[in-house]
Amino acid sequence: MTDAIKTEPFVLNIGPQHPSTHGVFRIKVTVDGEKVLDAEMVMGYLHRSMEKLAEERTYTQNIPFTDRTDYLSSMANNLGYCLAVEKLAGIGVPARGDAIRVIMAELQRLASHCMAVGAFTNDTGAWQTPVMWAFREREKILDIFEMTCGARLTCNYMRIGGVAFDLPAAFEPAVRKLLRELVPFIDEMEGLLVGNEIFLARTRGVGVLTPEQATNASLSGPLLRGSGIAWDLRKADPYCGYEQYDFDIPIGYQGDSFDRFIVRIEEMRQSIKIIKQALDGLPGGPHSTQVPLALRPPQGEAYARVEGSRGELGYYLVSDDGPSPYRFHIRAPSFINLSALKEMTVGGTVADAIVVLGSIDVVVGEIDR
Amino acid sequence: MPTREWTGEEVAAAAERLVPGSVARTTAGACYLKAEKLVEAIEALRSSPDTDFVHLTNLCGVDYWDHFEVVYHLQSFVRNQICCLKIEVWDREKAVAPSVVPVFHGAWMQECEAYDLLGIRFEGHPNLHRIFLWEGYPGWPLRKDFLSMPGGLQPGLNEFAGTARRPEPATRLVQ
Amino acid sequence: MALPTLVTEHWYDLRDLSNLSREILEGADKILPHGIVYVLAALIGFVASFLIFVLPSQLIVGVYGERKLIGRMQSRYGPNRVGPFGLLQPIADAIKLMQKEALTPKGADRAVMYLAPIIFVAPAVLLFAVIPFGPKMILADINPALLYFLAVSSLPVLAAFMAGWSANNKYSLFGAMRIVAMSISYEVPLVLALLGVVLFTGTTSLQEMVLWQKHFDIWIVFLQPLALAIYFIAVSAELNRTPTDIAEAESEIVAGYLTEYSGMKWGLFYGMDIGYALAASAFAATVFLGGWSMFGLDKWVPPWMIIIGKTHLFYFVFIWTRGTLPRLRIDQLMAFAWKFMLPVALLNLVLVATERMLWVEQELDDSYLYIFAVVNIWAALGAIWAWSRFLGYRPERNPVRARLVNEAGGYVPVPEAAKGGK
Repeated sequence: MTDAIKTEPFVLNIGPQHPSTHGVFRIKVTVDGEKVLDAEMVMGYLHRSMEKLAEERTYTQNIPFTDRTDYLSSMANNLGYCLAVEKLAGIGVPARGDAIRVIMAELQRLASHCMAVGAFTNDTGAWQTPVMWAFREREKILDIFEMTCGARLTCNYMRIGGVAFDLPAAFEPAVRKLLRELVPFIDEMEGLLVGNEIFLARTRGVGVLTPEQATNASLSGPLLRGSGIAWDLRKADPYCGYEQYDFDIPIGYQGDSFDRFIVRIEEMRQSIKIIKQALDGLPGGPHSTQVPLALRPPQGEAYARVEGSRGELGYYLVSDDGPSPYRFHIRAPSFINLSALKEMTVGGTVADAIVVLGSIDVVVGEIDR
Repeated sequence: MPTREWTGEEVAAAAERLVPGSVARTTAGACYLKAEKLVEAIEALRSSPDTDFVHLTNLCGVDYWDHFEVVYHLQSFVRNQICCLKIEVWDREKAVAPSVVPVFHGAWMQECEAYDLLGIRFEGHPNLHRIFLWEGYPGWPLRKDFLSMPGGLQPGLNEFAGTARRPEPATRLVQ
Repeated sequence: MALPTLVTEHWYDLRDLSNLSREILEGADKILPHGIVYVLAALIGFVASFLIFVLPSQLIVGVYGERKLIGRMQSRYGPNRVGPFGLLQPIADAIKLMQKEALTPKGADRAVMYLAPIIFVAPAVLLFAVIPFGPKMILADINPALLYFLAVSSLPVLAAFMAGWSANNKYSLFGAMRIVAMSISYEVPLVLALLGVVLFTGTTSLQEMVLWQKHFDIWIVFLQPLALAIYFIAVSAELNRTPTDIAEAESEIVAGYLTEYSGMKWGLFYGMDIGYALAASAFAATVFLGGWSMFGLDKWVPPWMIIIGKTHLFYFVFIWTRGTLPRLRIDQLMAFAWKFMLPVALLNLVLVATERMLWVEQELDDSYLYIFAVVNIWAALGAIWAWSRFLGYRPERNPVRARLVNEAGGYVPVPEAAKGGK
């Protein structure tokens, strides 16, 4: 009987137009029924050759490009690039500028994790409701960005040597009000999802990564922490005065999709904690140092990294004493986190592959750059 | 406590101790390894307990007009340190570098990216292909001479292609 | 059981609309030829059913209400542009769908692809024939109505399979494969759950089931809560409603068997999905919630209003689960059907059979029904508790908060106590 029925695996294209690929990203999965035998990633649909474009523009003109790599956390991208240029040119930042940068980066992390958590639950099949709830909170954060720098998504707020403008007077009360509203929201979101049997069944034990696998695949951010490795650049390599603030690194247990989810939820709580401390101790003084518009850093190279929402966001700059970077390389966390996609999906079902992709939390603008 | 950045000399001393004859030269921030000894040296730096560089955090290529450099940033979680390794690739026509995928799985996609944009062929990579651009794309975009490469690419759209060829940018070399 | 004498035969007694239509048709029969009377009867039936059921249920509750309610659950407004409060949105949608091109992909089996929506529509209309809307407001008061309902309601699976197979699309094929596998699995506990009801009431006629519940003044949901739970889960799996909508799982296989459909071909599927959900709700309202009877209230309120209200109440639960719950994976759904639903349905059957035997053989009082109700509610709670205890994830064993460490470093081993498990 089994000889008479011939089955063979076939290739299913998930993407580039698919509701769950978070943009134009494509996975070619070879499936045997529902079981995934092989997964191959195809990317580049959104490639804009930013690294080449940046070689033709001055250091200041490149800041808007960094907005458009990871468009869900533009502040963190700005910050990473500015830190790299400051490291290259040896420019200091006043204390107020550092504190504002920390507040903005953490608000951006909150906004980005709202999106990540919402989209992840959408991938598990909770039809749009959690993602809309998360969007509601994210809107409030984007309103604060709009109040500060005039833009909501591609902020272009950080400058080399500080930030573009000082904070408006209404900023502090607005942020304090926002944080008061966010705490119950996070608790509610967590309570609704971690207590849900179906959500647990879908995410527990799906896409398990051992710490060795996670390290060897160069992962970073919530994926690395979900596997139980306590690595957070804000603690390990403090920048912008993160060493002054008291916060913890959340880590997971067994490295499955659920652990990445709870790590993100807990990171949101820690971000709120950091913002409160930064607001309480917001120093006076200038918000930025004066930097010449046509900056010519001395010859050399610099690699600066920040803990972005998706992991280690690094900028490798080479200067040849010219007004524009000689080489501009972005270590994009979304791109490198995908290295482990195949290990996580093979052996599961198609539905699991979607959940795993959601738990990696990719942003296609950053993968393709 | 900030991450300790190893100077070139420190990395060179460690690499020379673990794999004798692997270091080509050193600069203040980086250690240049010999290409043929690269995989062996990186494997040793990863597994030796007093270096413990278990995480390949960044891999990229740089075009210096007459040669390429491939830059590796390795870091250790437990010891909280980072180092920078480099190799030089001098043949522009047939740029070949050894692949570190057997040591670090995370190099897989980053080597594909460097191959796609700079045309450095990583020997020993299991599936080296153009990851962003399509197979058969003319030229390697991140090379400095991309616009004067064979294939006749010009700035601007095809229908408005400039008739005058773009002047060659002045050669800028970094020592 | 004889019909109760609550409805007078006067035409103005709007508690049962069949009086009015009978009066009109009998009057017309005296002055008009037979052919025209038939046409008139069809017209009256169409207009009346449209005004009473299709308009409020299908369009306002099914399309508009569902979108509006889900919108509110998702903290947005829902349709509010077309007409007052957006009420005309379903009509605008229908006009838009009719104007759109109904694409057929290259390599599709054209005939089967065109046939599938038509086959999908017909059973949805047929299902309402056996639902009693009042003491006499029933189109076909047939004796095996329950069997008829079960047989007809498994027909759309064939249409869905045809749609998925013919479209020459791998997502569609996935959807078709899933819906067939799932409906076969869920048909078994569904029928077993309804078997308990048949056993207790001793009839398969839906009208007589309503009269039974009216006679004893107790709804079957109190006697067999477990059967209602099984019916609800199984029917939502067959209807492709979240959390069991794996056949058209949007985030996995785009739209399942509907992926390649567009225009009114898609519109028929969409509209009739709501039709099936309403039919299943009306069936549940009839069998479990007392149908058109309402503890004597049906003397004063038109019974058709009562059953429409109950139908919408049940339909609201469908909307509610759709707006809140994530989706299960196919192997989990299958395991749920065979490992949990089937044993529980059998348990329910044994319990009901024992009670029925006691009740009939010992010639017990009617008041024993209330004792049975208490016993069965406890049995249902016990079964659900046992399930969450032995089959489900136990939160106290599985950590749901991330660990916190203050120092960066390497791997932090998981303490033995937090390792968890099922």
